[in-house]
Amino acid sequence: MTIQILNGLVYGSLLLVLAAGLALIYGLRRVVNFAHGAFYMLGAYVGYAAAQAGGFWAGLAASAVVLALFGAVLDRLVFRALQERDPLVTVIVTFGLLLVIEDAVQWIWGAEGRSMDAPSLLAGSVALGGDAFPVYRLAVIAMAAALTAALLAWLHRSRAGLFVRAASLDPAITAVQGVNTDAVAMLVTALGAALAGMSGVIAAPFLSLSPAMGGQILVDCFVVVVVGGLGSLGGAALAALLLGQVQVLGAVLVPDIAALIPFLTMAAVLLWRPTGLAGKRL
Amino acid sequence: MSGAGRIGAGALAAAAAGPAIAALVPPGVLLSLLVQACIYAILALSVGVLARQNGMVSFGHAAMFGAGAYLAGIGLGAPGLLPAEAALPLAVAAVAAVCFGLGLIIVRVHGIAFAMLTLALGQACFEAANKARGVTGGADGLTVALPREIFGLPAATFQRAEGMFLIAWLAMVALAALAALLARSRFGLLTEAIRENEERARFLGYGTVLPRAAVFALSGGIAAAGGVLYVLYNGFVSPETVHWSVSGSALIMALLGGTRTAWGPLAGAAVYFLLREQLVEVTERWLGLLGILLVLVMVFLPDGLSGLPRRLRRPRGAEA
Repeated sequence: MTIQILNGLVYGSLLLVLAAGLALIYGLRRVVNFAHGAFYMLGAYVGYAAAQAGGFWAGLAASAVVLALFGAVLDRLVFRALQERDPLVTVIVTFGLLLVIEDAVQWIWGAEGRSMDAPSLLAGSVALGGDAFPVYRLAVIAMAAALTAALLAWLHRSRAGLFVRAASLDPAITAVQGVNTDAVAMLVTALGAALAGMSGVIAAPFLSLSPAMGGQILVDCFVVVVVGGLGSLGGAALAALLLGQVQVLGAVLVPDIAALIPFLTMAAVLLWRPTGLAGKRL
Repeated sequence: MSGAGRIGAGALAAAAAGPAIAALVPPGVLLSLLVQACIYAILALSVGVLARQNGMVSFGHAAMFGAGAYLAGIGLGAPGLLPAEAALPLAVAAVAAVCFGLGLIIVRVHGIAFAMLTLALGQACFEAANKARGVTGGADGLTVALPREIFGLPAATFQRAEGMFLIAWLAMVALAALAALLARSRFGLLTEAIRENEERARFLGYGTVLPRAAVFALSGGIAAAGGVLYVLYNGFVSPETVHWSVSGSALIMALLGGTRTAWGPLAGAAVYFLLREQLVEVTERWLGLLGILLVLVMVFLPDGLSGLPRRLRRPRGAEA
C-alpha cells in the first residue's frame, strides 16, 4: 500500500508542475492552453535529444530553455495578437497548435515510442517496507517539490512575482501603475511552457516517450486546474496530489469507477462553482 | 425566392447530387471514404448547430455520437426485444431526451467553462464505455449483427458503400436542411437573440434556459443519428468512437467550414477528409497542415471557409 501511495504521489507531483504552468498562463492570458500537453511532450523529446549528447541534466536544462523560448514566441505572436478576440478563438488556436506540434515531433523523431534512462546517480532502487522502489521515482517527487517551492518563492518574494500576481488579479489597474503587463504575460507564458517542458523530461525515464503522451496528461491537467480553481496555484497543487492518489489508489480499491471520478468531479465543480473560474488567486 | 424556398431548392438539388456522385464514383476505397465523410459530416453538423444557435463550443460531442451508436447496436443485438425499425429512432430519441435533461443544467455554463465541461462529461462517457463491459463490451468494443432486413432494405445495403453512401448522403442533406430551416424559424431567431445577449432576451420576457436546452437536445439528436449510421455501416462500435479526439475532429470540421451556415460544417468535413486522404499521398504531414489551416482560419476567417464567398463579395469594412 505504501508503494501505491508513493506511486500516486509521483504522478501527482508531475501533474502539479504541469498544471502550475497551465494555471499561471490562464491567470495572465485567460486562455486554457490546449497545447500544454504538447509542450510537455515536445519538452520530453527535446530533453531526450539533448540527453543523448550531454546526459539527463543537460536534457532537463535544454528542455527548459527551448520551451521557454517557444512559450515567449507563442505569447508574442498568438496570445498578444488575439487578446482582443473571443477567448474561445485563442483556445481553438492552441488546439490547432497541438496538432502541429504532435505532427512535427512525429516527423522528427518518428511515431514509435522511445525510452530515456534515468541519471546514473538516481538509478537503482531502495527497499521500502520490504518492497523495492525505484530511487528515480523518489527523485521525481523531490524535483517537483523543489520546482514548486522555487515558483512560490519567486511569486511571493520577487518584484517580478509581485507584478505577476497583480496582473492576474487586475491587468488594467496593474498596467495603470506602470507595469508592462504584456511583458509580464510573456514571461509567465515562457515560464509555464518551461515548466511543462521540464515535467516532460522528468516523466520521460518512467513513462516512455511517444508523440501521444501529451494527450492523456492534458486532460488530467485540465481536471486539476478546474477542480483546483483556474488561476489558483494552491488549489491546483492540492487537486494534483489528490488526483494522483485517485488514479493509483482508486484503480486498486474501486477499479470500476476510479476512472470516472476525476471527470465527474470536474463537471460538478464547473456546474456548482462556475465563478470558481473567475474567482482566482495566486 | 423566399429563404425557406431557397433552402428547399438547395436541399433538393443536393439530394439529387447524391445518386449522381454514387454513379460517378466507382465502388471501392473512395466511395467507402465518402460514406465515412458523410457520417462525420453529420457529427460536425451537430457541433455546428450548437455553435450557431447557442454560441457554444463543445469538446464532447463524440459522447452523443457514440451513445447513438451503442444504443442502436444494443437494440439491434436484442431483436426479440424491439424491431430494428423501432430501435434505431428510439436510440436517437433517447440521446436527445437525455441531452435535453442535461442541457437544462449545463447550458447555464458559458464560454470556456462550457467547453471544459463538455470535455469532462465526454471523457466520463468514454471511461464508462470502457468499464461497462457487460453492456458495451468494454475496450474490445461491440460487434453488431444486423437483422436480415431493416425498413424493408436488406442488411447488405447498409454495410456496402454503394447502398450506405446514398442513405448517409440523404440523411446528411435532410438534417442540414432541417438545421437551416430551424435557424430561420421563430425559435431559431430567439436562440440567436439569446446567443447575442442572454440578459436582454430575458429582459424582453423570454425564458432563456429552455430554448438553449432544446438546441442542445437537437444537437445531441443529430450527433446520435450520425452514430446510428456509423454502427449500421461498420457493424462495430468501440470506446475509441467516444474519445475526445473524435469530438476534437468534429469541432475542427465545424470550425473550418464555418458555423454561420448549415452547410459550413459539411464543407469542413469534406476539407478534413480530402486533406486526410489526398494529402497523405503527397506528404504524411496532413495532421500538421490541418492544424496550420485551423489556426489560419480561426485568425483570419472567423466565419470559416463557408464565409469566404461572402467576404470576397463584400470587402473588409463594407459590412454593416
